[in-house]
Amino acid sequence: MNKIGVFVCTGCDIGAAVNMENFEDIAKEFGAESYMTHECLCAPEGVATIQSAVDEGTDGVVVAACSHRAKIEEFAFDRTKVYVERVSLREQVAWSMNGEAEDTQMLAEDLMRMGVKRAKVVKAPQPLDLDVDRTVLVVGAGLAGLHAAQAAAGMGNPVLLIDAADELGGYVAGMKDVVPETPPYDTIHANEIAQLISAVEGDAGIKVYKSTRTKKIDGMPGQFEVDLEGPFGVEHVKVGAIVQATGAMAYDAAKLPHLGYGLSADVVTTNDLESMLVESKLARPSDGKLPGRIVFIQCAGSRDPEHLAYCSSECCAASLKQVAAIHRDFPDVETAVVYRDMRTPAQLEHFYQGVQEMPGSLFARGEIDCVSVVGDGLRVAIKESLLGDDVSIDADLVVLATGLVPNSADGESIRLLTDAHGVIAKNESDTQVAAAKEKLETLGEHEGTEILNLTYRQGPDLPVLSYGFSDSHYICFPYETRRTGVYAAGSVRAPMDPAQAVEDGLGAAMKAVQCLEMAARGEAVHPRAGDISVPEFSLQRCTQCKRCTEECPFGTINEDEKGTPEYNELRCRRCGICLGSCPERIINFPDYTVLSVADMIKSVNVPDEEDEKPRVIAFLCENDAIPALDEAAKRGLKWNPWIRIIPVRCLGAINVVWIADSLSNGIDGIMLMGCKKGDDYQCHYIRGSELAEYRMENVQETLDRLTLESDRVRIVDIARNEYEKIPEVFDDFLEKLDEVGPNPYKGF
Amino acid sequence: MQKQIIPSADFRKHLRDRGGDSAARCYQCATCTSVCELTTEGSLFPRSQMLKGQWGLADDLAGDAGVWLCHQCNDCTARCPRDAKPGDVLQTIRSLAIEELSTPRFMGKLVGNAGKTWPLLIGLPILLWIGIIFMDNGFTVPEPTNMKTIHATADLSFVDAAYAEDDVHGATAHHGELVEGKETRLVYDQLVPHKYIYVVYSVSFFLAVIAVLASAAKFWKLLGRGGDRKGSFIGSFLPVLGEIASHKRFGSCETSSSRKWAHFCVLWGFLGAAFASGLLVISLYVTKDPLPLEQTHPYKIIGNIAMVLLIVGGLWLTINRLTDPEKTGTSKAYDMFFLWLVVLVIMTGALTQLAAFVFPPLLASIIYVVHLGSIVTLFLTVPFSKFAHMIYRTLAMVHERMVDA
Repeated sequence: MNKIGVFVCTGCDIGAAVNMENFEDIAKEFGAESYMTHECLCAPEGVATIQSAVDEGTDGVVVAACSHRAKIEEFAFDRTKVYVERVSLREQVAWSMNGEAEDTQMLAEDLMRMGVKRAKVVKAPQPLDLDVDRTVLVVGAGLAGLHAAQAAAGMGNPVLLIDAADELGGYVAGMKDVVPETPPYDTIHANEIAQLISAVEGDAGIKVYKSTRTKKIDGMPGQFEVDLEGPFGVEHVKVGAIVQATGAMAYDAAKLPHLGYGLSADVVTTNDLESMLVESKLARPSDGKLPGRIVFIQCAGSRDPEHLAYCSSECCAASLKQVAAIHRDFPDVETAVVYRDMRTPAQLEHFYQGVQEMPGSLFARGEIDCVSVVGDGLRVAIKESLLGDDVSIDADLVVLATGLVPNSADGESIRLLTDAHGVIAKNESDTQVAAAKEKLETLGEHEGTEILNLTYRQGPDLPVLSYGFSDSHYICFPYETRRTGVYAAGSVRAPMDPAQAVEDGLGAAMKAVQCLEMAARGEAVHPRAGDISVPEFSLQRCTQCKRCTEECPFGTINEDEKGTPEYNELRCRRCGICLGSCPERIINFPDYTVLSVADMIKSVNVPDEEDEKPRVIAFLCENDAIPALDEAAKRGLKWNPWIRIIPVRCLGAINVVWIADSLSNGIDGIMLMGCKKGDDYQCHYIRGSELAEYRMENVQETLDRLTLESDRVRIVDIARNEYEKIPEVFDDFLEKLDEVGPNPYKGF
Repeated sequence: MQKQIIPSADFRKHLRDRGGDSAARCYQCATCTSVCELTTEGSLFPRSQMLKGQWGLADDLAGDAGVWLCHQCNDCTARCPRDAKPGDVLQTIRSLAIEELSTPRFMGKLVGNAGKTWPLLIGLPILLWIGIIFMDNGFTVPEPTNMKTIHATADLSFVDAAYAEDDVHGATAHHGELVEGKETRLVYDQLVPHKYIYVVYSVSFFLAVIAVLASAAKFWKLLGRGGDRKGSFIGSFLPVLGEIASHKRFGSCETSSSRKWAHFCVLWGFLGAAFASGLLVISLYVTKDPLPLEQTHPYKIIGNIAMVLLIVGGLWLTINRLTDPEKTGTSKAYDMFFLWLVVLVIMTGALTQLAAFVFPPLLASIIYVVHLGSIVTLFLTVPFSKFAHMIYRTLAMVHERMVDA
């Protein structure tokens, strides 16, 4: 920025902890034009002082006060003109250091240098100005899709609702009753999907396409170009956001002969029984007689590594629903449910209790040993029953409660297949072709399974999570996927019951509409919601290494035939992983450049070796590590004053050049503190921590090669609630550095 | 070895009708068994009984010691996350087990369904007495007789009353309070001669004893399926008596801890009353003490202490039951029948004394006949009523000891 003003707060214990004698000189030395202190900068008078400086042309405001997570609204100025840098004197000095010692003073002055330097070298981001189409495309017209369409239309967005089938309603359309949706939740409710379908079909804001699929989806949120293919041929439409609600189907019972399927016509599935209930004709397939006792076998193929390793979470409720319907419509029929665990999440617990209290309904815990034919009936043998013995019970009809298999496509696997085909077509080397052929073999099942047909570099469909369910951040941000503007809803993203699917449809519609509104303002969606900065690619220096296109977790960057990145700004979440990936450092955000952080590192005053004051640069992820650090400070935890903290957007947004810059500046150690990686990752950008580790391994190899100890670089996982660990983590690292000795480049 | 389960819809229906409907709510989390201080490794009550109840495994329950080892503390009911009331369910299962084990069976059914059959149970014996009176003197209500002095001993108990009711030895009244100034009273012997009372009561008592023995034998046999017994019956029986006398197991109850002492009073009250009645017989026929006994006479003191215990314990239990069903369990018709029958015997017994002096002869006679009838009902229903728990619980405890030995 051109004109830097430094504003130092002396409130909140800062004044007492820090000697500000040298601050003005330091600020001026690093390019500040004005300097002032205030005893309470966040008070209206303090803010007014800054505002008047801004009015007089200050465009780089350095607020040396509290953490950037505090007083956000107070220190917000016109973001397109004024860059605000926050120097956290309160959390990182006043609250976390001991007294006015020399080390504390050096830390405060370094933080000042780093902050002013950064403000000097960055630019204020300029907003995007793009046309945004507010149409929502809903793929799949089952319960979740219908609700998503209705909700989006209700918010005033035009909706296109497509379904591959020739009727709307999906899985739930075949049900007689549904699980309870309103208090007291103790018995079945009528299935009202027919009314919902006619409401949707009659909604002027919703255009319905039956027997239709998406042939191609190009573009980015707000500007998707979609080719729909149906009985009408191909129709080109423009949409802004997409809800994928393609649902699930029942597991194939033919794979369950050990539970008696195929042994007798009287062993049926949940769906078979549902069809009988829909027709109000409960009869044994073998002889057409009303069954006296029906035994339900829960977890038929579910939670079984040979079949579906997961719990479909819906089959217990489905059986309860059928038991309730049977006792209502056929009171003479006795039912027995054999279960491993009855899983009735949320309000369904009341439903379970209600069904248990129905006369003639029995529940027995146990594992199925076998199902056999005895006379003209069936016998179900149960192991590990709670009665303490192996027991058996006779049945006239056995119902297998089969689980749900998502109607999803594995976008990433399909992409690997495409790549393999490409390699074979090119036929450059025999080993490559052999490897590609092997890939075709292992991933062959994904061939031709595309649903959305996105023209993304990273595959034509959403990535999948465990067991083939579509991507979704199922703990913190359901519906959110790694493809910005595409939201997964209903049982395609997780097994669920109808009540949950309804909620999902609404949630995904709200996310889609929110995304469109933010796109129209040029803002990023979660987790950097509201950020208007977008990276600039200096393509003239691009070497077409494809790291950015490969590593972006959100499929933001396509590439042309040569491999040059093609950036799609509205797909971008602004995490900066591309900035971290680029060996040529050609990807930079206006307010977060490779150079700006390098300059911050170089601004740190490194004492001579004989002073025995090591220096550590700690890159802390802004998502969890910085909040944890602030929390530690708030709770009065003290840590070592030799650490210099630089907040980063993600551990994946750390360019390895910063490690080199640190070491050449005489810094003794570099620490990366961020979210957990792995299967239970907590990284807000999914792969950031993982990529950081991979990159640092390479760095460490290089260090070892240069006989610089690889121990100087350390990655630490920290969760938001692990603030107590922070002082210890720093101390451990400093102990290690003490063993390793000072950086040999110190003083050069 | 696979065991074929044949769920009994009938049993489940009975369980529901008798107040065990909450059993259906159980989802086998075993909180009940975890918090139960009395449960044993071999039985794991009340969880396993809840399951057997849900499935209607009547046979299993009839021979299950756990059903009786439960003392209905209701610690389980208080902690059940699903309000399945294991304490209540076990109580209902016990009543069904009594019915299942009862000999003859029809008596078990009659008493088991006391909620509906009580007019029959109370009415038939009254009709019997009316028949006897009719045969004897054709419904002549006697006139009050002039007496010289009337002293009365305190009523020892209703058990006592059953034997000692009005003039076992042919003398005039020895019950009730001294009624000053009244010198005429109804002599009940003139309404129902004692010989009939001897005969009817002896027969009833004898039938009751036979029924108890037969049911107990059946139960003991069924219990035997639940484990191999070792050692002698007596060797286990004596320590069990010690446990019962001290109410050791009751002591571990938390939720209804006061029940320990209430039940303790009632038990010792009964035993004291029975003992005192025996002493009275000795005093009548062996030592031929002059009656009425002095208030300081040891027999008299024992009888009075027993009476106090019974009244205190009985009131305590009744108040608990009425005021805090959460802790004591919900009262069912079956339990209440027994409680009211006892009250009826005591009340009519006491009224009979008073009525002889103050009520018109017809009314006094009616009360007396009801009193006589209710005692017969008591005798005949004891083996099939809640009272039977004395036998079954004791046997279950002996069985448990013999299996563990």
